[in-house]
Amino acid sequence: MDQFIEITLNLLVGFGETLKIFFVTLAFSIPLGLIIAFGSMSKWKIVSAITRAFVWIIRGTPLMLQLIFVYYGPGLIFGHMLLAADTAVYITFSINYGCYFSEIYRGGIESIAKGQYEAGQVLGMTKTETFFKVILLQVVKRIIAPMSNEIITLVKDTSLARVVTYYELIYFAQRYIKNAGLLWPLFYTAVYYLVFTAVLTLFFGWLEKKLDYFKS
Amino acid sequence: MNILEIKDLRKKFGDNEVLKGIDLTLKKGEVLSIIGSSGGGKTTLLRCINFLEKANSGEIIVNGKTVFSAKDGEKPQLAPDAQLSFGLVFQQFNLFPQYSVIDNLMLAPKLRSKRKNIVGERETVDQIRERAENLLDTVGLTEKANAYPCQLSGGQQQRVAIARALMLSPDILCFDEPTSALDPELTGEVLRVIRSLKDSERTMIIVTHEMEFAKNVSDRIIFIADGLIEESGTPEEVFEHPKSEKIKAFLTGMKE
Repeated sequence: MDQFIEITLNLLVGFGETLKIFFVTLAFSIPLGLIIAFGSMSKWKIVSAITRAFVWIIRGTPLMLQLIFVYYGPGLIFGHMLLAADTAVYITFSINYGCYFSEIYRGGIESIAKGQYEAGQVLGMTKTETFFKVILLQVVKRIIAPMSNEIITLVKDTSLARVVTYYELIYFAQRYIKNAGLLWPLFYTAVYYLVFTAVLTLFFGWLEKKLDYFKS
Repeated sequence: MNILEIKDLRKKFGDNEVLKGIDLTLKKGEVLSIIGSSGGGKTTLLRCINFLEKANSGEIIVNGKTVFSAKDGEKPQLAPDAQLSFGLVFQQFNLFPQYSVIDNLMLAPKLRSKRKNIVGERETVDQIRERAENLLDTVGLTEKANAYPCQLSGGQQQRVAIARALMLSPDILCFDEPTSALDPELTGEVLRVIRSLKDSERTMIIVTHEMEFAKNVSDRIIFIADGLIEESGTPEEVFEHPKSEKIKAFLTGMKE
């Protein structure tokens, strides 16, 4: 019993590391995605072409490969490491998820009726005002379901960080195999993921309800 | 003096010339209806007047001041605040769904009053609210101030849209087929509001398919076909003594 509590607490520390990736990634990728979405919708062909090519590369290659590239790449090219493991993980995850989010945003933004922009214009509002005061919340309402999908995937993708020596939940559990011959802590990690995704599911359900007061 | 003067307005979409040189004047307090069959250019004209489309050439003059001018192949010139000379009520209402009725009215004026460089006195939120409440009273929707657009009927939404357009005190209020998206039993309430605006001497341009209404409310009617004004005159002249063959055919078709 003592061992169970000890391992539970120890894994909780590992899960704390997992949560760090999760929240830092969201904090950067949610706004980054908006910038990338604007880039891929730009009326300057060159900007939208470059942005879309970038999104294609990021979405078209494994996140694990990107992590290895960002963490070890500078060492191979310049002869010395450039980034600490956690920095490399935060950067890679933020860019990767920013690209996925951008496509969700783009779909949401393009689905808003043209009349909403036109109404803003004829009322003398600027394009920026119209976007932030009129369009954005309608987009948020429409993208909750695909965003919650992506964000729940992120919870589990954090386990990839261990390939660049970022010690997260799975790594903490695997040490018990090597050091104590215990396999069950590895399977026990599932409980952490499940509890956390349950919390997220409840949160998105709440948000959806919260925005139910209007239809668009 | 003319409140609005439009000179030789032309608009092309690709190779398709939709407006082929429109000249138009409007006096203060005058109500002008634009009729014509679909695809004739009447909605495009209204959208050009409201700068939702930029005409390729021509001039728009409000109160003697050129607010828009364009020459073929050059970038059109739009005066700052030109937009505020015109208000537009859309066929599809286009209310902002996430705002209550009163907030739909107040949003644009509130943003405006926060700008750094504005001409004249800065309006307080209380003043804006008071104006909004008065306008809701005008369109008969005081009790719906805190409702959301999705809770209103089409006719009520359109009346809110009219009040919202009036919040910016436009010189000229434009309507783009304001009753076309409404169930027949709901058109009456919207038309009554427009008529009450005429009684308060508001200058209006109305694109409409409601011939009876156009006949009753307008001081002048123009008939547009193939991008040109085919016929122009008082309702009596246009409906009772039409000159061009095109409008005769149009009016006969309407009756059938």
